[in-house]
Amino acid sequence: MNDFFRATLRSAILATLPLAALAQQAGVTADSVTIGAFGPISGPASYIGLAGRDGAALAFKEINDAGGVNGRKIRMIFEDDAHSPARALAAAKKLVEQDKVFMLMSVGGSNATAGTIDYVKEKGLPMYVSIASAPGVTYPFARTLFRGGTTETARYGELYAEYLSEAYKAKHIVILSGREEYPRNEGDATVAKLKEWFNSAPAARIEFNVGDKDFTPQLSAAQRANPDVIAFFGNPAEAALALRQARDLGVKAPFFVGANIVDPAFITAARGAAEGTKGFSLVPVLPGSKLPEMVQWEAKWRKEYPSASVGRPNNFDLIAYADAYVVADALKRAGPSLTKDSFIAALEATRDYKVNGLATSRTFSTKHHIGNLTLVPMEVRSGTWEPVPWSSTHQSDILKRYE
Amino acid sequence: MQTSKRVLLRCAVAACALLAIGAGAGSYPAYLISLAMVNVIAAVGLNLLVGNSGQISLCHSSFMAVGAYSSSLLASTVGLPFWASIPAGALVAAIVGALLGLPARRLSGIYLALATLGFLQIVQIIIEEFSDITGGVRGLNTAKPALLGTPLTSYGIYCAVTVVCVAAVWLAINIKRSRIGREFDAVRLSPHAAQALGISVARVKLTAFSLSAGYAGLAGGLFAILVGFIDPNEFGIGSSLKQLTYIVVGGLGSIGGSVVGAALLSGLPELLRPIKEYTDFAAALILLAALLFMPHGLAAAWHRVTPKRGKTTGDVPA
Amino acid sequence: MQASFYLQLAIAGISVGSVYALIALSIVVPFKASGVLNFGQGELATLGAYAALVLSQYGLPYYVVAPVVIVSGAVIGLVMERVLIRPIIKAPAFTVVIATFAIGLAIKSAIALHWGDTPFSVEGPFGDEPIVAGGLRLNPTSLWIVFCAVAITALVGCFFKYARPGKAMRAVSINPEAATLMGIKVNGSYRWAWAISSSIGALAGLLVAPVVGINPEIGGLILRGLVAAVLGGFSSVYGAVIGGIAVGLLETFAAVGLGGTVKNLAPFLVLLLLLVFRPYGLFGSREIHRV
Repeated sequence: MNDFFRATLRSAILATLPLAALAQQAGVTADSVTIGAFGPISGPASYIGLAGRDGAALAFKEINDAGGVNGRKIRMIFEDDAHSPARALAAAKKLVEQDKVFMLMSVGGSNATAGTIDYVKEKGLPMYVSIASAPGVTYPFARTLFRGGTTETARYGELYAEYLSEAYKAKHIVILSGREEYPRNEGDATVAKLKEWFNSAPAARIEFNVGDKDFTPQLSAAQRANPDVIAFFGNPAEAALALRQARDLGVKAPFFVGANIVDPAFITAARGAAEGTKGFSLVPVLPGSKLPEMVQWEAKWRKEYPSASVGRPNNFDLIAYADAYVVADALKRAGPSLTKDSFIAALEATRDYKVNGLATSRTFSTKHHIGNLTLVPMEVRSGTWEPVPWSSTHQSDILKRYE
Repeated sequence: MQTSKRVLLRCAVAACALLAIGAGAGSYPAYLISLAMVNVIAAVGLNLLVGNSGQISLCHSSFMAVGAYSSSLLASTVGLPFWASIPAGALVAAIVGALLGLPARRLSGIYLALATLGFLQIVQIIIEEFSDITGGVRGLNTAKPALLGTPLTSYGIYCAVTVVCVAAVWLAINIKRSRIGREFDAVRLSPHAAQALGISVARVKLTAFSLSAGYAGLAGGLFAILVGFIDPNEFGIGSSLKQLTYIVVGGLGSIGGSVVGAALLSGLPELLRPIKEYTDFAAALILLAALLFMPHGLAAAWHRVTPKRGKTTGDVPA
Repeated sequence: MQASFYLQLAIAGISVGSVYALIALSIVVPFKASGVLNFGQGELATLGAYAALVLSQYGLPYYVVAPVVIVSGAVIGLVMERVLIRPIIKAPAFTVVIATFAIGLAIKSAIALHWGDTPFSVEGPFGDEPIVAGGLRLNPTSLWIVFCAVAITALVGCFFKYARPGKAMRAVSINPEAATLMGIKVNGSYRWAWAISSSIGALAGLLVAPVVGINPEIGGLILRGLVAAVLGGFSSVYGAVIGGIAVGLLETFAAVGLGGTVKNLAPFLVLLLLLVFRPYGLFGSREIHRV
């Protein structure tokens, strides 16, 4: 072959590369982009997955009705993971290999999402994790994995430890946590930061089992530690039971609850006893609030899902809705020639983005993919969760290990 | 009854067919088939205990956990390759099964069921408490299997699972026909008669527990490399009960029944994906229907429908 | 101070134990009468609790709700027995147990589909204010549960001992053929057994709803109920109640003494020890074939 021919061949190949890249880009066509999502819609955690699915679907529908992103409609295919790593991996494989999605969005639990991480990394596909707090998503740093709505476990510890020590000015903190992944993590993180930042330890660390209906032994043990505050980590049903039993037993200490308990369901289940309980919320405004923006949002949610069960929409609807907008915003900024790389770059350029006043903002960078470090302190006042005017004064340590 | 050569041939053919299917199919179907095969191994083992020996066990998934965690930990701490760590995990499970078999010798029926339930709780607690080693409720990333330095592809894992599954089924068929298998049947049908005939019922029960635990441990070890992530939730009472439904629907005592029952029922949730959140309800109804229409299991229904060749005993052939 | 602390714990143990006792009772009754272990009894309690929720949302008072729940429970039990159990009664016992398990699953998933996982709560019949007496704080609903557990057990016990259908059921459980020869309709006996046990199960759900909360996972109580039933000897009605209370006390004191880890294990360990010495539980009389 002579030089001229070689040069022409080279230019021809280079010219077709972008087309080739587009042609190879799974899940993207001229008028659509397909997102694969998974979460638990069956089994005991279905309130998370159903809400995640519905919240995200509502957001994508709104975006599509307004014209989509760069002329492309967003198509979401949702698969159940039944809160199990094995099933989550099956869902991921189906979405990637059968449905050929462009990216994955997880609205599932921690362990289920953890089961997909290796596969997603191997496939080099972007995955946006909205609700799971599995540490493997953000550490060690992985170029294609992002964490959105939920914050890092250690961050819970930072804020809880600070609030318990400084807002409650508690000398005796009793931690009462369930023997399940999320509550244990919250408890462990709080204990760690109490020691590291405040050089203190809880007066007692008591555990209960999933499915326990009677907390008398734990509450009696708590009472003996003379608590100024009882930090309760579990689920809303357990918290409500424990709180009512505590008041029955004459335990007067206020309750401070984990982030998943800051939910209207807790107040309903606890009846009058919930008044004065505090906790940090992942969303600045909870469903059920009378704030006009929330009332409007709930109205349009109910219009879309008229037959949803009581207790919906819940926090996860809100979080997934907000995160869907984050994803869509990045898709738009990635431009008309949408590739994995342009999408990742666009996500990493996200700074303080939030779609409305019902979400906390997301910030990513090329060094870390932790979107949210904000938790909003709230208190039960007159039967609803209201924000508390308090802000943290301690600088978070979370991002230090990415510098 | 088929000769052992025919059984071996059929198993070999099945293995080749499965390996061929896996080569052609994508990684998603291969993964699903692998999961089904793991469940088959566990179900066949459980069937030896419950269907053939007549013992009841609610802790089969705990032996899977023992196999899964021990093989994963042996691989990551001592560096055993998967083809050593998984059998080692099965061995550990078999030993633990024998340990359970010792007190379980004297129990039967609901009392044995509850003893096994207690054992299940113990295993859960151990996994959760020693979380520095096992990862606790947070789960454990399992070691990636590798052959001669190169990591196994998903097809490689599929092949490993296939080979082990076919071998396990073949072994079960042979056990069932051997003296041990006949002792199992004797103990199930009448422990008194068995004892009177000189069979040590206690020893047989111990063997049954140990053997079925070994099968479960093998399944657990394979499960661990297949999914790459394990947590105690996967090995709880729900999983044990599911395995019992597999062998009941398949037909207690029938190996073929266990294979089909496990493959079908464990694959059912994947098949039901299109109906989204109604999967649980539909699966329960399907299970109920299967039991109502085939109360003696698929194997018995199959033998009612297909013509018999030659002489058969009253027992359900493999 | 010390005495009242332990007394308070004992009361908690008895209260939670009464819950287990009711579930145990609803398992023992059909087993005694028809040899069937009903693994779906937990879900019947869940139904009872949700029935309480629905009826209370209509504002119906307790003395209306309770009989409605009892009767509907009986009806559901009859339907279950006729449609789902009777056809497969000849199958291996194990299959029937799994069938009841499948029924329970179907009920639970149907409930979860409609109401989701949202925890609800209802008020107890006597309000929520604890009664303070002598340094002890007593929840009125818990006391009501204890009372009902004892009362129902006594009623059922008398039924078995004195009422004609009850005596018939006992005869059938000992020897069905002889009972038939005596003119007892075995099918009728089974129907009574299922109706009674299902209504107890549903009633248990109604009773415990105020203290336990209403969510689809109430059925998990069946595992505790089983332990209680076996502890009590598995075919004795009074054994079921004593077994339930024993399990409640064991759990409560184990939690205080040994921490949450061992709490769930304590009843099993005691059970295993007991079986070594008394293989038929505390009050049971079934033969165990020791080989």
